Amino acid sequence: MNRPLDLDDIQGNICKGYGRYGFPKARYFFLQFHTPDQGRRCLHQLIPLITNAEPWAADGDSPLKPDVTTNIAFTYAGLEALGLPQRSLNGFPGEFRMGMKSRADILGDNGPSAPEHWDPVWQGEGIHAWVSINGRDMDAVETRFSVIRGIISDTGGVSIRPGHRGADNTLLPWQDASAVYENGKVTPKEHFGYVDGIGNPYFEGCGNDPSRLPGRGKLNKEGQWQPLATGEFILGHVDEAQEYPLAPEPHLLAHNGTFMVYRKLHENVTTFHHYVDSVAQDFDGSRELLMAKFSGRWPDNGAPLTLAPDDEAKAALDQQLASLTEKADKGDACAAAQLKALKDQWIDFTYADDKHGSRCPIGAHIRRANTRASLETQKGAFNTPSALDDRRRLLRRGLPYGGGQKEASDATEQGIIFMCLGASIERQFEFIQQQWINYSNDFHLGNDKDVLIGSNNGRLTDKHIIQTQPKSGKAPFFCSHLPRMVETRGGDYFFIPSITALNMIAQGIIDPT
Amino acid sequence: MSNVAGKAYGMNVLTPLRWWTALWQKLIFWVVVKTFPYFLKGLLTLSLIHYARWTIINRWSFPRLDKTQPKETLTYSYMLFESNFNGSWDQYIDSFSFAIPGGLDMFWRWNIKYPKSIPLHDFYHYIRFNQIECDHYYNAYPLASANDVKSAKRLTGNLRSFADSLTDNMTDEAFMDAYRQFLADNQHALGSMGDSPLMSTSHQLVQHHKQVNTAHEKQPEEEA
Ligand code: HEM
Repeated sequence: MNRPLDLDDIQGNICKGYGRYGFPKARYFFLQFHTPDQGRRCLHQLIPLITNAEPWAADGDSPLKPDVTTNIAFTYAGLEALGLPQRSLNGFPGEFRMGMKSRADILGDNGPSAPEHWDPVWQGEGIHAWVSINGRDMDAVETRFSVIRGIISDTGGVSIRPGHRGADNTLLPWQDASAVYENGKVTPKEHFGYVDGIGNPYFEGCGNDPSRLPGRGKLNKEGQWQPLATGEFILGHVDEAQEYPLAPEPHLLAHNGTFMVYRKLHENVTTFHHYVDSVAQDFDGSRELLMAKFSGRWPDNGAPLTLAPDDEAKAALDQQLASLTEKADKGDACAAAQLKALKDQWIDFTYADDKHGSRCPIGAHIRRANTRASLETQKGAFNTPSALDDRRRLLRRGLPYGGGQKEASDATEQGIIFMCLGASIERQFEFIQQQWINYSNDFHLGNDKDVLIGSNNGRLTDKHIIQTQPKSGKAPFFCSHLPRMVETRGGDYFFIPSITALNMIAQGIIDPT
Repeated sequence: MSNVAGKAYGMNVLTPLRWWTALWQKLIFWVVVKTFPYFLKGLLTLSLIHYARWTIINRWSFPRLDKTQPKETLTYSYMLFESNFNGSWDQYIDSFSFAIPGGLDMFWRWNIKYPKSIPLHDFYHYIRFNQIECDHYYNAYPLASANDVKSAKRLTGNLRSFADSLTDNMTDEAFMDAYRQFLADNQHALGSMGDSPLMSTSHQLVQHHKQVNTAHEKQPEEEA
């Protein structure tokens, strides 16, 4: 059993998906430290701005929710540039030391996603730190940004790396990200039109409301949801293998820190919609159903296919939702409870009743990215039903970027700044990306890849099978010649230190002796 | 030397046992396999494993290549674990240890200095320390995993039966119904076939060097 976490020592983005807390705007930028001493001095000035993971009080009590948050993380080169001792540097895991570019062939970053096509900011060396600002609105973000820019120019010897591709092919010294707006209102959607940001793991000590556990934790032998071990997501705590995750020395450098993957994923919206339109003509169902069969969730409201596997079921679900919402809005407590129970099923599900994938295809994005105990194809075969998943979970912390143009196309800038956190980039993110997104042996689907983010190339064999109910008289549906819907435009691997470790790095007192 | 061929990884692990526990363990293995096959359910469900075999070699029955090879006097008997699986070493050991820690402990528990399969890194070190690299490892179907081969075999058989079931006087509609049914019955055996995902950046380097070597070897011939 893990002790309660020191939430005031852990950076806030680890425990909180800021989007969910009403921060729809963000700016990410990257620092280069030209000398270790200036770098440390700059960091020292930035530390008071860093947001920790303490829960925000609803009213009155402190800490209240701020208008803006700030977090910071470092690449291996960055830690080197800040003068960390070699022995500490040696303790970092191999993939982190290599960085994302060197892992391109593991991640499927080939063809248009190959590092030579990434935004200029990623070309060459010199990405040392990532800084994020999340704000309730763009003004809050801008204000915080100018404060940080002031600190940077005051200390000297630190620069903001330019070269993020923005609208109309301009190059910017930062990457802005924003929730997608419809009619002036924030939506939880990304640019292909899917509701996103629903599924995220629940772990011991994360400070989240326990009612969020079902569907987000791990499954024990009795099939009940339990929180995942803290050490899956935060270093210095016991993980699912009952040990401390691999981490550098000294203990205080790693304790309460974690690793982060940052990827700028461009969405080819024209390619996506053309593909959907052309395949929809032969598909037995609506265009929305086809889109849902790619992701595993209905695009408009994120309802999982396990709950509503076809157009008829979706219409009934929508009707039920509408009528419960109406009654609940009028103060009907019973309807409100029913509505909550229904909404809980958005996340609290497994694929146990859908072994054949006739509801949610076995190769659908969410079924690949979080297998929810479905790899235990024979009941009772494994130590626990989700044994093969519990060490492969991702805390997703991304936001969409770009968009807002009148006519979005493949050439315009839009996509997702995908960020995910975990104690081992190799075991969690890289494994999922390589084995479950770009390969399918674990699903008995050969080399088929994810429709949305797989490194498909439009060949006959780049395909997705929409399985059917056996003996239903219907054939499975084949989506072949899948084009590259999403392209990587840059990214790297980062270490997010605890507040204590940030202070130690800034003071230059990391000593593994 | 490489433990990798196509989509497969070959693993040999030789671990010492006291000679009397070896005898005892032989008996246990036999009883388990005969009477409690459910112990093996986990192993069979881990579909990345093509093959796994545990053999106990008594200290007096170590094979010799030839009668002229002197007999060794061994202190211990040994357990030889051989496995072919699809994926990298870490992926295999991870899945093994997450999914069936109890089963692994049952196989190895009497081995000298076996640390148990959880916590994971002690188990990692135990396997690595006792692993014997493959001198030669051949794979007849480098593009296929064990699952791919099983799917292909099932599909071929079913396609033959389907073809046999068709008659000349079948209507188009009847054929279409039968074909749809055939596809539905085989929807889990229709994955695409393709290259192995990269097992590691080290393996990638070896493959690159091999290509360079081949190109280099070819050159003088072309010149001649
Ligand atoms: C542009 C790129 C991407 C798009 C458009 C996309 C889209 C989606 C959508 C629509 C969902 C369903 C909503 C939800 O459950 O939250 C989802 C869930 C998810 N995605 Fe992605 N995604 C992208 C990239 C990635 C990447 C790179 C990964 C990891 C390798 C990933 C992992 C996940 C995970 C783990 C879930 C939650 C699954 C669950 O818990 O059931 N996604 N994504």
